[in-house]
Amino acid sequence: MKKKVFVMILGAILTTGLFTGCKGENKESKESVYHIGISQFAEHGSLDNCREGFLEGLKEEGIEEGKNLEIDLDNANSDTATAAQISDKFVSDKVDLICAIATPSAQAAYNSAANTEIPVVYTAVTNPEEAELAGEDKTPVGRVTGTSDQLPVEAQLKMIREMLPDAKTIGILYTTSEANSVHSIKEYEKYAKEYGFTLETAGVTNTSEVSLAAAGLLEKVDCLTNLTDNTVVSVLPTILEQANKKGIPVFGSEIEQVKLGCLAAEGLDYINLGKETGKMAAKILKGEAKAEEMPYELLEGSSLYINEKAAENLKIELPEELKNRAEEVFTEIEG
Amino acid sequence: MDFAISIIEQGLIYGILALGVYITYKILDFPDLTVDGSFPLGAAVTAALLKSGVNPYLTLPVAFLAGAAAGLCTGLIHVKCKVRDLLSGIIMMTALYTVNLMVAGTNNVPLFSKETIFKNEFLSGIFSGGISKYSNLMIILLIVLISKFALDGYLKTKSGYLLRAVGDNENLVTSLAKNKGNVKILGLSIANGLVALSGCISCQQQGVFEISSGTGAIVVGLASVIVGTSLYKMLKKISFIKVTTFVFLGAILYKACTGIAILYFPPQAMKMISALFLLGVLILILVVDKKEKRGKSHA
Repeated sequence: MKKKVFVMILGAILTTGLFTGCKGENKESKESVYHIGISQFAEHGSLDNCREGFLEGLKEEGIEEGKNLEIDLDNANSDTATAAQISDKFVSDKVDLICAIATPSAQAAYNSAANTEIPVVYTAVTNPEEAELAGEDKTPVGRVTGTSDQLPVEAQLKMIREMLPDAKTIGILYTTSEANSVHSIKEYEKYAKEYGFTLETAGVTNTSEVSLAAAGLLEKVDCLTNLTDNTVVSVLPTILEQANKKGIPVFGSEIEQVKLGCLAAEGLDYINLGKETGKMAAKILKGEAKAEEMPYELLEGSSLYINEKAAENLKIELPEELKNRAEEVFTEIEG
Repeated sequence: MDFAISIIEQGLIYGILALGVYITYKILDFPDLTVDGSFPLGAAVTAALLKSGVNPYLTLPVAFLAGAAAGLCTGLIHVKCKVRDLLSGIIMMTALYTVNLMVAGTNNVPLFSKETIFKNEFLSGIFSGGISKYSNLMIILLIVLISKFALDGYLKTKSGYLLRAVGDNENLVTSLAKNKGNVKILGLSIANGLVALSGCISCQQQGVFEISSGTGAIVVGLASVIVGTSLYKMLKKISFIKVTTFVFLGAILYKACTGIAILYFPPQAMKMISALFLLGVLILILVVDKKEKRGKSHA
């Protein structure tokens, strides 16, 4: 009897092994088809845009899904352990390249692929140095490179100053667990004084706390500005409603937020960021460059987005010069 | 096959966490939510120690002690301040979030360039060539075996029997002239010590401390314990394997389930697969249980 149980358990373990093992062995080794594993950390507008841009970038370099590209897409649903499992799977599938979107996925992918030949290309990592994905001078620490989505903080502060010449205090809501946000807060602290602002921040740990934190912050500030903070941005409408009631302008950090009713943003275009990343990946796949020799890249400059309707509601006169410079001016508020 | 190894590695690491949850949930009958905080606490302590260049093997006992301290606090809040069990766990879990941020210094600490229990000079001397692929698994297995047998051994001591008695029949403990509160506190300490140990190993395996790594840890732990103990119940009569081993098996199965979801299902389906898996196991056990009972009544 005892033996039987042993056999059963052993059988169970072996079958899971078989299930998981078979996919790797089925892989055909066609030279012309590239196999890329995309590990995305969470379902999120900006990250989705990164992914789309990445595929577009590859396409522009002649690597296209359905033709010579096989994509394996997985999403960690914001769980670090799952992110590790996903990149482990890509490594055991022996993909040609792993594309990791957002810091935790990038770190997991780098860790999984450390002792292999598989290159990792990341995007939407705000600070690759702090994440130990790059050394000083942007040089890679291994077979890993990519693009950073560092916010154009100075440009944003300058734009806010132009729009609100009398504002004294800027408020920022952020999640204490998001590496990108913590880093951006440091950047704001560094530059706020130069533009004559004092900074007020409020940290939250999840979406349910945002509303209260916003109410507290709005008591103290002349305007709010957003980061690319996933938690805060996901409940942006609540913040906007509260701020609008008090007539306090809210600035965004990317196009989607301005569409939703933020006054303006000097932001990144995540599709473009993804495209840059896709082009880097194409170079690596074609053998034109090596990941371990490519420094990570930043998107040059920023694009200004303005929402006229929001300005009208807040009775703010938009400077002509800003309007002319804007990449896109929205006249409606979505949603 | 590499992916299967990675599943077993993660399963064993989370199995140590499940062992802790087993103590609180099954033995003490205490729904302890401290776990969501003590798991990353173990990782935070580890990250802080490794950053300061301490011998990586020292992180294991220190993380255990840190977790035990957290469990001690939960116990004190529950027993001394008379706060309800669920609430005292929630209080500690919430407080630990701040503690973890302070201990680690920031929310994300990469450990790629540091020596860890999986990657140091001593190890690269032992493991080389072909078996280096299995070195992580062997190290994890060693820690797992030590913690499992230590716990098995402890549960057989007098103090261990008292621990089990508290969950089953509090009055018995009182009638033995023992303070049941103290026993509970001890149990919570050991449990959270194990959870933190699991966090310590996990962050070294993944090469990074991440504050959000604890979110949902209790879910993984509970699921593993329920699957493990249910299997144990089902096979009790025909097996000599201890329930603690089944807890590890439960954790591995749970991780295998996420693995299968990653392999064969669209990304959005992952949580549903995990939920269905858990439900499936519970129904299976219900069916087997009923059959057994029917068999008995016929006999």
